[in-house]
Amino acid sequence: MNGGKLQSKILNMWLYICGFFLLWEWLRPLKQLTDTANLTVFIIFLVISLVLAYFKVNIFVRNGIKLLYVLYTINLLYFEDSFFKLKWLFYMTDSVIENMRVVFQGNWMSLTDDFRSILFFILLGLMAYLLRYWLISRRQIFVFFFMTLLYITVLDTFTPYEAQFAIVRTIVIGFALMGILTFYRILDREKLQMPAAFARKWLIPLVGMVCVSIIIGYAAPKASPIWPDPVPYIKSYSQDTREDGNGTGGIRKVGYGIDDSTLGGPFMPDDTVVYETEADHRQYWKVETKDVYTGKGWVTAEENGEKIAFAQGEEFPISNYTDEEMTVDERTATIRPFLQYPHIIYPLGLKFVENDIGHSYEVDLSLEKISGADLGNLSGIGQYTVEYESPRFSVRGMMSTVDQNHPLLTEDFLTRYTQLPDELPERVRDLALELTQDKENWYEKAKAIEDYFGRVDFQYDQKDVAVPGRNEDYVDQFLFETQKGYCDNFSTSMVVMLRSIGIPARWVKGYTEGDFRGMTDSGKRLYVITNNNAHSWVEVFFPEVGWVPFEPTKGFSNNAQFTFDLDSEQPSQQDDVLEAPEAPEVDKPEETDAPEQSAQTSFSWKDTFDKTTQFLRTNWLWFAAAIAVLTLTTYILYKKRLKWLPYFLIFRYRRRKKDEDFPEAYIALLTQLNRYGLKRNQEQTLREYARYVDHYFSSGEMSALTSTYEQYLYKGKLQEGSWENTKELWENLIKKTIA
Amino acid sequence: MTHEQMNPTIGRILENIEKVMIGKRNVAELSLVALLSGGHVLLEDVPGVGKTMMVRALAKSVNAKFRRIQFTPDLLPSDVTGVSIYNPKELEFQFRPGPIMGNIILADEINRTSPKTQSALLEGMEESSVTVDGVTHRLEKPFFVMATQNPIEYEGTYPLPEAQLDRFLLKMKMGYPDVNEEMEVLSRAQRTTPIEELESVIDLNDLRELQENIKLVTVDDTIKRYIVDIVNGTRRNSSVYLGASPRGSIALMKAAQAYAYMYKRDYVLPDDVQFLASYVLAHRIILKSEAKFEGISAEDVLERVLARVPIPVQRLVK
Repeated sequence: MNGGKLQSKILNMWLYICGFFLLWEWLRPLKQLTDTANLTVFIIFLVISLVLAYFKVNIFVRNGIKLLYVLYTINLLYFEDSFFKLKWLFYMTDSVIENMRVVFQGNWMSLTDDFRSILFFILLGLMAYLLRYWLISRRQIFVFFFMTLLYITVLDTFTPYEAQFAIVRTIVIGFALMGILTFYRILDREKLQMPAAFARKWLIPLVGMVCVSIIIGYAAPKASPIWPDPVPYIKSYSQDTREDGNGTGGIRKVGYGIDDSTLGGPFMPDDTVVYETEADHRQYWKVETKDVYTGKGWVTAEENGEKIAFAQGEEFPISNYTDEEMTVDERTATIRPFLQYPHIIYPLGLKFVENDIGHSYEVDLSLEKISGADLGNLSGIGQYTVEYESPRFSVRGMMSTVDQNHPLLTEDFLTRYTQLPDELPERVRDLALELTQDKENWYEKAKAIEDYFGRVDFQYDQKDVAVPGRNEDYVDQFLFETQKGYCDNFSTSMVVMLRSIGIPARWVKGYTEGDFRGMTDSGKRLYVITNNNAHSWVEVFFPEVGWVPFEPTKGFSNNAQFTFDLDSEQPSQQDDVLEAPEAPEVDKPEETDAPEQSAQTSFSWKDTFDKTTQFLRTNWLWFAAAIAVLTLTTYILYKKRLKWLPYFLIFRYRRRKKDEDFPEAYIALLTQLNRYGLKRNQEQTLREYARYVDHYFSSGEMSALTSTYEQYLYKGKLQEGSWENTKELWENLIKKTIA
Repeated sequence: MTHEQMNPTIGRILENIEKVMIGKRNVAELSLVALLSGGHVLLEDVPGVGKTMMVRALAKSVNAKFRRIQFTPDLLPSDVTGVSIYNPKELEFQFRPGPIMGNIILADEINRTSPKTQSALLEGMEESSVTVDGVTHRLEKPFFVMATQNPIEYEGTYPLPEAQLDRFLLKMKMGYPDVNEEMEVLSRAQRTTPIEELESVIDLNDLRELQENIKLVTVDDTIKRYIVDIVNGTRRNSSVYLGASPRGSIALMKAAQAYAYMYKRDYVLPDDVQFLASYVLAHRIILKSEAKFEGISAEDVLERVLARVPIPVQRLVK
């Protein structure tokens, strides 16, 4: 007997130890993923909580010890005063009150660390309590174990946290826990005492099983993932289009961002409106350019490049053109941002940026990205107007360049804009050489490469887009393996190919002109730019002209203007490019080519699906709220059904007059009695049950009612007026069930 | 069920029987059920608990011809059915009816006689007729056999084959009276032989009418379904080697009709079926030997089956 008790204590201790390790798995990733610097104090707290629970210390003593520990730790970490001076306690109280205020304001980011730590302690305390409840009272741990696994695998998939060993540890602990708990449950169910030998008999095979399953799991061949890395996919789903990615604690911000270092993967359409523009002409809008290709994506050489401020009326300090005599069209355009980006979008040949509030700007010389200066005081950039000289690029000027021998092409410049990673596969360059071998000058070469992407081999696709593997090159993969992709694939590939043959080029990000929405009163064209219009393209440097945009992406057309100031033998294709008629622009050009398009007028599942997802995406908050409210209401109604359901039943059946309604009413009564707690076993006859009910309520109503029902049920006949005669009995019984 | 009102005629018969039988109302009721539904009863019990008294009281109450056959190993079929004897005066064979030619027969210790003799009785039970020397003699109706067998002695017995057990509508045990009842038995025995004082309540014509009425008792499809489910349950049970036959289903239905009628109802309730199931079906199922070794009885099996078959509480949807 005593042996059994001791055994039970030891087993309980094992339960606690395993439980502790399971909880620990939740804490481990925090160090890497959040700014929690001092995990040890929390782990110690967890240990204290569990040890106290194990020894079943009196609840006041237990909570007292925990409180002391929490206070001491808070003091140690956040207050300079000695713990025993107690003055710091007032500061802490103040801080807590202040933080509570912040909480009620919903201003989560302003919480101070000490308060957050206190909250975390409370959370851990609750977790420890829950764990004790699961392990000792319920003897069930599967849910928590499963949650732990889920948590770890999700972290492993979507964050930098490497959970290889964590998963193994969790499995071992979880299996062990479940095994011990099953043992306990069997003991409870069979009301057995626990002889020591029995426990051993149980534990030895348990340990064996755990070991075997781990070894098998470890040694078994593992299928490679059947999906591409889901992260980019998830990212593309994200609503978060803000660009400031400096989140706390290493959580990666997703969306249209500055981070282009890993390109690839599918994305979902998103027609959130970003800008509205009034312009004279269709044109692309630039945001920034990037110069360093890493093999996976784009970064910038100078992380914190030099910035030049320029105020209203000051000329934009960068000129991209070297051709002094270039023909230009002077134009203005008005841009109204819909989302609060810190940067602005601007057209080629920008001269001035103006706004009503006299706000000034600064430009990052490396990225050629214009942001609002001293944005701290402003919530974002409001409406602004750009004056610009829309360039007409001289084809003759471009064609005059045949090699790198030009004073403007300094060594630094060339190094920067013909940079390529060393690992770039040779076949990319071979391809570029092959495409351009009989082209004389840079312009023709660039055109040849641009045209190459127009071949049928290449497909525009937003969904089925690969992410390069660890040892793969983004461009190489696109050019030679997948040949499916969207603007990033096309533009990056073109830049890389140009660079591989020594032509300086860079990668530009921004937006296409957007969707034309009609003419404004002032005779301008009104465009709406959505996230779907986000785009990337290529700029090639011609010493005689400057940076000239090229558009390799299939289905998109370059709307930069060229002047053919030479007797052109260029094919008519040039004109297409030049004039860029009402081409099926932006976004889903490839879809317009897709076969299902033939049934354009008819119903399309894909369209409906897209629209539905779109609708859900924009209104998900409402949906979530509605579902939550609905769920809550349903839950409350369900919980309280004993209170209201009888009234409903009486209301429903009181108006019924026909005898045929009697059986239904009787069955409803049976259900209601069952709900009330008077359960009928399936083998219990109605008569026995009626006696049981009557005995419970000390009446004879149910028997009387039942005998009428029996006639209906087992004789197939109802006497006339059965329902009228028994209605009162029925109502009385229903009323008795009102809790 | 005792709360329910009884059919007055049947109530009087039972009261009459109770004048001589103390306690054992259950047995009396069940015997009446068998009598009224035209079936036969197998009583399994030790001697001396009042089996004969019971049958005689029943016979007297309905004013029926009572015959008793004491089965012994050397009993011949002709001792049961009767025999044709040559009458030298008339120069022809004359049939002398045997004890089976009565209305209510007590076949005592039926398992003591040879199968041949047993089957003579059983033929009578099943066919309501006996064949002697190629001549078929119809038995008078009503014809009711109450057979007894002693479960204690096995030496020199011929247990009834399963197929023949099936001929009995019900099988039951009488059991000993409880202390008070037995004291009452003693007191009564001091005074008279009570059976002699008994008067009949109805005559055979009334009994036949009752039997006809019982056939009119409604058995709804829900109840039929319930009966079939129970019988099917015995066929599927893991302890059972051979479940009850359709004859069992019919027997259960007929018994339930009689029972319902007894309680003044013209329709059968699941309660009736539940109550009778064990008496009607227990002797019709053959248990596996494993189950026998585990001490599981046919009654246990039926109890389990009944617990598993849900009571119909709504009409069948067709």
